Amino acid sequence: MTIKSEPFVVNVGPQHPSTHGVFRLRLTLDGEKIIDADMIMGYLHRSMEKLAEERTYTQNIPFTDRTDYLAAMTGNLAYVIAVEKLMNIEVPERAQFLRTIMAELQRIASHSMAIGIFANDCGAWQTPVMHMFRDREKILDLFEMACGARLTLNYMRIGGVSRDIPDEWMPQAHKLLKELPKRFAEYEDLLLSNEIIIARSRGVGVLTPEQAIAYSVSGPMLRGSGVAWDIRKADPYAAYDKLDFEIAVGTNGDCYDRFVIRLAELRQSLYMLEQALDMMPSGPVHQRLGTSTVQPGTQPIAPLAFRPPVGEAYGRIESPRGELGYYIVSDGGPSPFRFHIRSPSFINLTPLKLMAIGSTVADAIVILGSVDIVVGEVDR
Amino acid sequence: MTYEEALFYVIAAITVAGALGVVTARNVIHSALFLILALLGVAAVYVLLASEFLAIVQVLVYGGAVTILILFAMMLTRVRDIEGPLDGPQRPFAALAATVFLGTTVLAVTQTEWRGETDEATVVTIEQIGEALFSTWAMPFEIASLLLMVALIGAIVLARGEEGE
Amino acid sequence: MFLLADNVWLDALLRMTIVAVLVPVGVILLTWVERKVIGRLQQRLGPMHVGPFGLLQGIADTIKLMTKEDVRPDSADRPTFELAVFVIVVPVFMAAVAIPFTADIFVRNMALGLFYFLAVSSLGIVGFVMAGWGSDNKYALLGGVRAGAQLISYEIPLILSAVAVAMLGQSLSLYTLVELQDNTPFIAYQPLAFVIFIIAGLAELYRQPFDIPVAESEVVGGPTVEYSGIRWSMFQMAEFVSLVLISALASLLFLGGWVWPFGADNATWLQVVLMVVKTSAFILFFMWMRVSVPRLRIDQLMALCWQILLPFAFLQIIINGLVLVYDWPSWTLTILSGAAAIAMGAIIYRVARRSGVLYQTSGAAEQVGLVL
Repeated sequence: MTIKSEPFVVNVGPQHPSTHGVFRLRLTLDGEKIIDADMIMGYLHRSMEKLAEERTYTQNIPFTDRTDYLAAMTGNLAYVIAVEKLMNIEVPERAQFLRTIMAELQRIASHSMAIGIFANDCGAWQTPVMHMFRDREKILDLFEMACGARLTLNYMRIGGVSRDIPDEWMPQAHKLLKELPKRFAEYEDLLLSNEIIIARSRGVGVLTPEQAIAYSVSGPMLRGSGVAWDIRKADPYAAYDKLDFEIAVGTNGDCYDRFVIRLAELRQSLYMLEQALDMMPSGPVHQRLGTSTVQPGTQPIAPLAFRPPVGEAYGRIESPRGELGYYIVSDGGPSPFRFHIRSPSFINLTPLKLMAIGSTVADAIVILGSVDIVVGEVDR
Repeated sequence: MTYEEALFYVIAAITVAGALGVVTARNVIHSALFLILALLGVAAVYVLLASEFLAIVQVLVYGGAVTILILFAMMLTRVRDIEGPLDGPQRPFAALAATVFLGTTVLAVTQTEWRGETDEATVVTIEQIGEALFSTWAMPFEIASLLLMVALIGAIVLARGEEGE
Repeated sequence: MFLLADNVWLDALLRMTIVAVLVPVGVILLTWVERKVIGRLQQRLGPMHVGPFGLLQGIADTIKLMTKEDVRPDSADRPTFELAVFVIVVPVFMAAVAIPFTADIFVRNMALGLFYFLAVSSLGIVGFVMAGWGSDNKYALLGGVRAGAQLISYEIPLILSAVAVAMLGQSLSLYTLVELQDNTPFIAYQPLAFVIFIIAGLAELYRQPFDIPVAESEVVGGPTVEYSGIRWSMFQMAEFVSLVLISALASLLFLGGWVWPFGADNATWLQVVLMVVKTSAFILFFMWMRVSVPRLRIDQLMALCWQILLPFAFLQIIINGLVLVYDWPSWTLTILSGAAAIAMGAIIYRVARRSGVLYQTSGAAEQVGLVL
């Protein structure tokens, strides 16, 4: 039955529990049906790219924690990889493995949140989020042991990581890895075949492979549309070329596929972590920077300021949300001439209009949840 | 004056106030809400007349369902207060229609031979209502059902047609 | 039945006062129970700090809500906005009058009690629609429309499943219906009606998976979005009282109320225990559902009601009619109704498994200027 009514504009956000921050979606509705959708971004714009031009390369690392605040490790990693490319720094083996392990732990933490919040957007009243928080808390404990912080980690350094893990870290990580498969089995059991989640997300927010590529989306969204593209395989960084893993690929490109892919990636991350923990070599965790660097005497492994050669570099990694890239131009000074973030949340959000038109309000919320945005990264 | 009489006057006053509200309110949603009040007042009168079943049906059908649909239709369109007088050149026709309706009602009330005692409630049980509905008045009941069915199918056809465009 | 006062009117007044006082106290306790239960299910502790085990949290919250500013949006339609709360709360209390809690404890034993309960509780919809429209808020309006559509639709299977039980008991008096269940509760004869009643009851209480009108992640509380302080707490109270009433009604209609399994003339304290246990079981079930399942979309909700629940509710009535008219033994009722209930479950399961409405994405692509 259709009830013909006047078009009706609803502002979802900037203050709305389902926009995961201060993002605004202006929906034009005919009854419950969406006839137009506009995305209005910029409520959380903090001018990071411009601010970074005034700070030294090392001082910019904390900024990268604060773009994607649910995945600070991968933010750090993408930035330091870009600077290392610029300066041609070889990173020690142990640091590479530590980076990989931290990035995969971060992926589990971030995907746990994404899955829980997605279920929340489908209407499950906080239970999945609360259960997912258990694992995330344990991972944050590990981060805290390694670097002293839980959310804004500031762990990676140009040339390595800020410090080696303490002795108690490995046993605790192994303990966590033993626990996680049981938890994942529980989530798969409860969520994967949940009839209502299937009913709400299958066939909703479909993005064909062609559309996905045209919009240059990445990460679980691109893989959900059936494109097997993962930078960890396509352009390996850190220690990913030494690890064995598979890329999860969807078939329909709908919200359900994106959700399933995140669940599958939890398993893959776990598999990678098991390998990486076994293969972890010993040795230094930081490469001393060359003679061109200015090193304050007290902190030998974390020089505050240095001058990279003139040039440009683009470092990219597979963050939990997709291709996270840092493009850095150096004019030979102590701070970047241009500092650009290619943030996956922002680019993955752009096909929202395409996916939302023709669906209902309830679907729009599910679609937005399946994109898994972090507004700090959308607006930077 | 007994409690019942006092109650009747209170209820009657509320009902009349509701009915007046329907025609005088400047906002159609308010009119619809006044209509609910008037209909519930009528239900209360039924209770005083010891026709509980009728009263409950009144509440269920008019209070909870029909008026909601009216409200619904109005909520989905933009409602604004109506400025200025509502009448126009059709005033004489309206007056004529109203007079005829009033006359018919008064005639019906005065000419009907009311059954039962005037100072005693006639209690009709639900069994009697059921029996009457399905035996004595089975034919009108069926015709009414058929009419509703036709209306229902018509509504579906109309909705379908709109969807197909 | 004993009179509390000599005068009938005074007696009625006294009984109503008792209900009006006891119910809010019960609601305060129930909010604590719900928060504790949900906390446990979500691996949290729930209220802990006010009083032993956080027992006094409800009272603290009540004081907080009562002293809070009563905010009214400037552009709200004042009479509608302010009266909506009462239109929601009053029918709930009116409905409470019809529920006998034991053979002796009730307000009025009405010959048409069941019918009265269903009719009066349907009035609450008006309040939701009023709140949705009167708040002058788009979310509230959307929620109000959703509430109206959902509650009206689910009333029908709810009433039909209750009618099925009334057919079996040949009475609309809740008291009589309960007394008839001294050997076997009606759930044994009417599993289908029971399942429909519980599903429709969940929808009438707008709890998950049917919390569409108030969906927090979509319409941010729906009709209640603009209410604060005492008015908002009235919404909460109406919700909790309805929860208790629907649970009590379910235990009266299907589980034999205070009668089964100890027979009709057991002691009053035992009757109270029986009712409390049965009602609590339903309340806990509804709370459990609340944290266990996601939410349906409105079109799926309507499809469930009109395409599955309603036909099966009619089927139950036809089964009952056949059995009653041809005087078949009562176990045929169990078998027929049970088989129908299983069939309904299978249909819902199959539909849910393959469902998900596929949208035409190509049309949308043209609209945003991207044709591939």
